[in-house]
Amino acid sequence: MSLCPDLPRPGFSFDNCKRNAALESRGYKSKGFVKTGTTIVGVCYKDGVVLGADSRATGGNIVADKFCDKLHKMSNKIFCAGAGTASDCDKVTEMIRGQIALLELNSGRDVRVASVVRIIKQYLYRYQGHIGCALIIGGYDATGCHLHSIAPHGSSMELPYLTMGSGSLAATAVLESRWKPDLDLEATKKLVRDATAAGILNDLGSGSSVNMVVLTKKGNETFYPYDIVCAKGVRSGLYDFPSGTTKVLRTKVIPYEIEKVEVRGASEEDEPMDI
Amino acid sequence: MTSIGTGYDLSASQFSPDGRVFQIEYALKAVENSGTAIALRGKDGVVFAVEKLVTSKLYEKGSNKRIFTVDRHVGCAVAGLLADAKQMIETAAKEAANYRNEYGCPVPISYLKDQVALYVHAYTLYSAIRPYGASVLMGTYNKSEGSKLYCVEPSGTCYGYFGCAIGKAKQTAKTEMEKLKLSTLTCRELVKEAAKIIHIVHDEVKDKDFELELSWVCEESNGLHQAVPEALHDEAEAFARQAMEDDSDEGED
Amino acid sequence: MIADVDEPISTGTTLVAAHFKDGIVIAADSRTSSGSYVANRVADKLTKITDSIYCCRSGSAADTQCIADAVAYHLAFYEMQTGKPATVEAAANVFRNICYKYRDDMVAGIICAGYDDERGGGIYSIPPGGCLVEEKRVISAGSGSVFISGFLDALFKNNMSKEECVDLCLKAVSLAIHKDTSSGGVCRMAVITKDGVERKLFLNNELVQYEG
Repeated sequence: MSLCPDLPRPGFSFDNCKRNAALESRGYKSKGFVKTGTTIVGVCYKDGVVLGADSRATGGNIVADKFCDKLHKMSNKIFCAGAGTASDCDKVTEMIRGQIALLELNSGRDVRVASVVRIIKQYLYRYQGHIGCALIIGGYDATGCHLHSIAPHGSSMELPYLTMGSGSLAATAVLESRWKPDLDLEATKKLVRDATAAGILNDLGSGSSVNMVVLTKKGNETFYPYDIVCAKGVRSGLYDFPSGTTKVLRTKVIPYEIEKVEVRGASEEDEPMDI
Repeated sequence: MTSIGTGYDLSASQFSPDGRVFQIEYALKAVENSGTAIALRGKDGVVFAVEKLVTSKLYEKGSNKRIFTVDRHVGCAVAGLLADAKQMIETAAKEAANYRNEYGCPVPISYLKDQVALYVHAYTLYSAIRPYGASVLMGTYNKSEGSKLYCVEPSGTCYGYFGCAIGKAKQTAKTEMEKLKLSTLTCRELVKEAAKIIHIVHDEVKDKDFELELSWVCEESNGLHQAVPEALHDEAEAFARQAMEDDSDEGED
Repeated sequence: MIADVDEPISTGTTLVAAHFKDGIVIAADSRTSSGSYVANRVADKLTKITDSIYCCRSGSAADTQCIADAVAYHLAFYEMQTGKPATVEAAANVFRNICYKYRDDMVAGIICAGYDDERGGGIYSIPPGGCLVEEKRVISAGSGSVFISGFLDALFKNNMSKEECVDLCLKAVSLAIHKDTSSGGVCRMAVITKDGVERKLFLNNELVQYEG
């Protein structure tokens, strides 16, 4: 006999993974995910962090949204750029934002980037990569400016410049060749723009415009969009035909036969309705 | 007990107006009804000695032992209600085994005594249960940290000691201990002193027969808790008898 | 577009841990890969667990980071409860328990190493599967270890000086970085003695170069 009731066993639970594997082995095919090809970029500079993202959302090989927002606000000075499954990124950041807000209200302090990263990576780890959410988290807190990335399986790393998504290979090339320690704000914004643009131009999954947010100790400054890389072309000629272009060869008129029926109105004896 | 019958002693979860919990004090009384148990902490280990009262000639020799081995390196001597004490020992043994399983090394006694004390203390908080009517002396020795001795009481308090006595004659035993320079003595010497103390505090008039239990955990036993070797046990017992006789001779002079 | 950026991130790694006169040295390369894509070329695979105990991670990055976090949390609590620093042996056992319990679901090869006042420097290896092996001399782990384990056995000496030991570890990691495709980048090190932890970093151009 114990004084307190049995608590559930602590630790990780992989029950659902086993269940899913069992279902799959019996022929249940799980539905595929809607993936967004994406380019997201983050760069630290001496006074803060700049995050950039393209704005294309795809559904299969169709562009679902030309101006979607992949930069999610976590707190006043912390933003999170998301790549991977669009719905997962939106929902995860939305849920964690709620937790962060409560944490800030309860503690009366600005939450730290490290805390946001911990909360998200532990959440993602629990789902063993089934939540397809690759994030770059940047921001300014009591310990300075930080830039982290989290992979869908829940691993994280902290680096001075980062890129993720299907356009990351193109963006990496730009960052690796041009990043220097202690860049100033304008140079950093240019670098983030160019890295994201490289993704937009070279990756089919990324497109449209570069969105950007700058996070410093003063707060956040957003640029929606910072630059439209692939602007929709302007129609250079007039493609409408003057009337009469098509010649009338023959005319036949078929008259409609119309039957008229009169319906008598309500009799005067009926009482009007009360309301 | 001055406030007996005032109604504040019915439950362990109730304070008296002057801030006492009578049920705990009654539990301490239960400990004081049992035969004395002592533990001495020397420079190379800890020695336990118990005056095990034999209330009937029908008992087998060596039954109802009151010295226990909680883990290879931790020994315990108990006083009070034996069934209660056994449960405290069980808690300690489980905790020690669990620790060994989790961390792959012997449990530090500083941690073990806290766990046992915490467990005992929980039984002083609820109205539906009674506190443990037993105290436990807990000792260990290892090369790097030396010897350690603690006593867990029914209230859940736990103090460290150089020498400690519980049970009937704890006051007399403590007075005897204070005469010794414990930290300079080896366990071989302490075994004899412990045997002597138990013989001295034994009340021939009220309790007729008793068995002397002796154990140690020390350098010589390789840091393991064991009964003292038979030869040493006999030697200690003889030493104690001799000392008693010398004492009574002096008394006659 | 190759799908490698979507692969789970793993550390196909080279890890080395060696005893020397006053404590232990641990060393690792810095490549974390996702399929054939290098996700991080300057990763730190030497992760702090307590003030004087570190672990070297190989296998799935997510699994090993999570284990390291869990053990660090466990031992921080343990140190508060017992009021003294955890021993390397205790830390290694906590690692082992987790690795063994989740052996079917996780990919993790860990070296737990550090210094404690009770037993001095300690190195314990927990290979995938969750067994626990104490190492009294030198050990290598991860995909790069096949290229250097013989080298380490041949050149390791008992009671080396710190400089000798650091030199040996650097040579071993350099060899592995040059021969193993899953190892690369820089060589990170930690020297752990009774005086604390000293971190070292050898950039790619500071690695030992061998011909061939």
